[in-house]
Amino acid sequence: MKQKTTLVLTAFAIAGIIVLFSCSKSNNDGGTNPTGQTDSALLNIGKNVIIPSYQNLSTATAALDASVTAFTQAPNATTLANAQAAYKTAYLAWEGCSEYQFGPASDQSLLTNTINVFPTDSTVIKSNLSSGSYTIDGISNLKAQGFPAIDFLLFGADNAAILARFTTDAAAANAKTYLSAITASIKTKAATVAVSWSGNYINQFTSLTGVSAGSSLSLLVNSFVQDYDVVLKNYKLGIPIGKYGTTVLPQAPAKCEAYYSGISLQLLVQQVKAFQNIYTGGTGYGFDDKVIASKAQKNGLPLNDVINAEFTTLLAKLSVLSDPLSAAIVNNNAAVNDAYTEATKLVVLLKVDLSSALGVKISFQDDDGD
Amino acid sequence: MMTEIKLKNFIYGNVHIAPLAFFRIALGAVLFISSIRFIAHGWVKDFYITPRFHFPFYGFEWIRALPPVAMYALYGCMVLGAFMIAAGLYYRTGVILFLLSFVYAEMIDKTYYLNHYYLVSVLVLLLAFVPANRYFSIDVLRKPGLKRTHVPAWTINIFKWQLAIIYIYAGLSKINADWLIHAMPLKIWLPANQFIPVIGRWLALPVTAVLFSWCGMLFDLSIVFFLLNRRTRFLGYILVIIFHLLTAVIFQIGMFPYIMLAATTIFFSEHFHQRMLGSLSALRPSLRRGDIPRVYVSPAGYKQAGIFFFSMYFFLQLLAPIRFLLYPGKLLWTEEGYRFSWRVMLMEKGGTTFFHIVDPATGKRIEVNNRDFLTGYQERMMETQPDMMLQYAKLLKKEFEQMGIQHAGVQVESYVTLNGSGSRLFIDSSVNLAAQKETLFGHKKWILPYQP
Repeated sequence: MKQKTTLVLTAFAIAGIIVLFSCSKSNNDGGTNPTGQTDSALLNIGKNVIIPSYQNLSTATAALDASVTAFTQAPNATTLANAQAAYKTAYLAWEGCSEYQFGPASDQSLLTNTINVFPTDSTVIKSNLSSGSYTIDGISNLKAQGFPAIDFLLFGADNAAILARFTTDAAAANAKTYLSAITASIKTKAATVAVSWSGNYINQFTSLTGVSAGSSLSLLVNSFVQDYDVVLKNYKLGIPIGKYGTTVLPQAPAKCEAYYSGISLQLLVQQVKAFQNIYTGGTGYGFDDKVIASKAQKNGLPLNDVINAEFTTLLAKLSVLSDPLSAAIVNNNAAVNDAYTEATKLVVLLKVDLSSALGVKISFQDDDGD
Repeated sequence: MMTEIKLKNFIYGNVHIAPLAFFRIALGAVLFISSIRFIAHGWVKDFYITPRFHFPFYGFEWIRALPPVAMYALYGCMVLGAFMIAAGLYYRTGVILFLLSFVYAEMIDKTYYLNHYYLVSVLVLLLAFVPANRYFSIDVLRKPGLKRTHVPAWTINIFKWQLAIIYIYAGLSKINADWLIHAMPLKIWLPANQFIPVIGRWLALPVTAVLFSWCGMLFDLSIVFFLLNRRTRFLGYILVIIFHLLTAVIFQIGMFPYIMLAATTIFFSEHFHQRMLGSLSALRPSLRRGDIPRVYVSPAGYKQAGIFFFSMYFFLQLLAPIRFLLYPGKLLWTEEGYRFSWRVMLMEKGGTTFFHIVDPATGKRIEVNNRDFLTGYQERMMETQPDMMLQYAKLLKKEFEQMGIQHAGVQVESYVTLNGSGSRLFIDSSVNLAAQKETLFGHKKWILPYQP
């Protein structure tokens, strides 16, 4: 009989330890997987998809900052063209990183809602230029910084007028400072995030296996589904084509991403390809392998085939359009709407079918289930 | 004659109070920890302060989220109440304090409904009727006259009956093709844990999902009988420990396993509980000094009322989980009659919704960004539950009317996948949800039937 008491007491002790363990589990501070078992998908996506994307962004934003420095030191047609080209390269690089709004990106605020809020607020930018008083990364300046602000500053008028803004205008000195502050901020953040991913974070990322809240798979899937659903589908297409407005006016082409430089479609396609790359894991292990292993079906077909086919269809629908997207919305509205319809189908596949096949919960609050 | 005597003994027979006192302490302690844990995780803010809107239960729309300070005070009441229960300090007040504050919080928003919150409400409700503070409590230290050593058997048996209902219904709900034949949803959930140390590699095997499904069903159906029988009780409790701790490791189900570990101790013998209290009394020897046998007598005049109340109570407890039979369609799909039925871990269900506002004046269709109105968590729960979609549609109508769209129609294109079915249309997207009425038990005709 005595052993029974001991046993029950032991059980409570174990239970207590597990409670403590599970309470602290959510504040993941890294740690390594003691068995050495790793999730090949996390490993491959981390090392061969995410880290190269951030390194690419880090390089491109450093180049952007350098060419902006050259431009502000000697504003002329050549330095302007260089800065404009560097902006496009850097913006395209960002499209490969916007999917990972967690970990180092979140720590450094290298996020869509800090460096890619569009449409940018040109009124705020102009008043910042004339007053010269602002906090570049400040909370009230979110709509006046990042890539969309550069878009306005380097493309918001014809090149002659832009050069004038940086040379003869009364606020020219302020304009130089402002543009430099934006590119310097992005450069610094991107460099820090790239270093942090290839340094400590990759180990944490690969060791936090499983699908509970705070696991890498949960973070990754939630982040990219959110990015796809809200940023790609809603902001890049839905809002400009007038799906969300309450007014009768159906379209808002000026709300396109990169409206002034008119590279919206390039950016959009780049982002879709980034999603495709995460899904397939490039040539390595990716979500597709997990989906195949799960034997998940959709309408009687293997889910993996359906997702791959939908990526192909969406890219095909986008390929018949041409930049600037803002003009295509007006002139070729039916084709843009077609692309939107396909983009919506992919929301269902990623948010519902993919996440469910993996057992990952979408918008996973760190809560109890039962 | 014999059975009548047996029944009488089962209800009124005198038994030692120790199991009840230990149960009070164990459950009170777990509730104390879980209330503090809830606050410490920041969930009071995330669940009740951050959201702009809530999803109240039908008929309880008057239960609202309180201002931030009051929400924290409400959870403070739970912590205090749980402490008073465990300590047996002004016990009835403590039970009522906990029960009211807990039930109020749970009724604010059905997003957060969990079977184990329902379980807590039910167990604490039952505690309100029993003299669990008459032994080994601060109340007894305060007023030694309160002390009793024996109680009528029903005060302990109601908890056994309640737990029996829970386990057996949980077991019965597992007898279906998804669970037993397709091993769903475990076939999805177990491999997701394949990288956890030691047991991980086994979890990925397809046979493990089938084995776990069958064992889970058999465990739920039989565990009460193991625990009731003196000879198998020891083995039964080992099974309880293994089962619940395993679920605690594999799934994110919070305090549920520990509540069950605490609650099932009620099945042990009075000798066992006396010994447990004996080891606890090392803290305060006066708690057990001078055990003169004294029997607790229920207050006179309540006998008939008590019999009536508990008959009704257990009748409803038996009925609620099978009310789903009155609805057409697949239960897990429609979720009509799903809550308050002890159905746990039965589905991997995910969905997405595209809500459209239709302006009758212009014919314009506006898509809705759900995150403008709901938190991510609320959105996820709403996207698979028709009654929440209905509430949300009515909310949208109101919101868009304030934005100047009169008589707005609300339609939803909703896709749901259930246990690996693949996403398919869930709701009739031609229906104006804003014009549909919610009823207490009515069937929602606009849920599309599940196509196997």
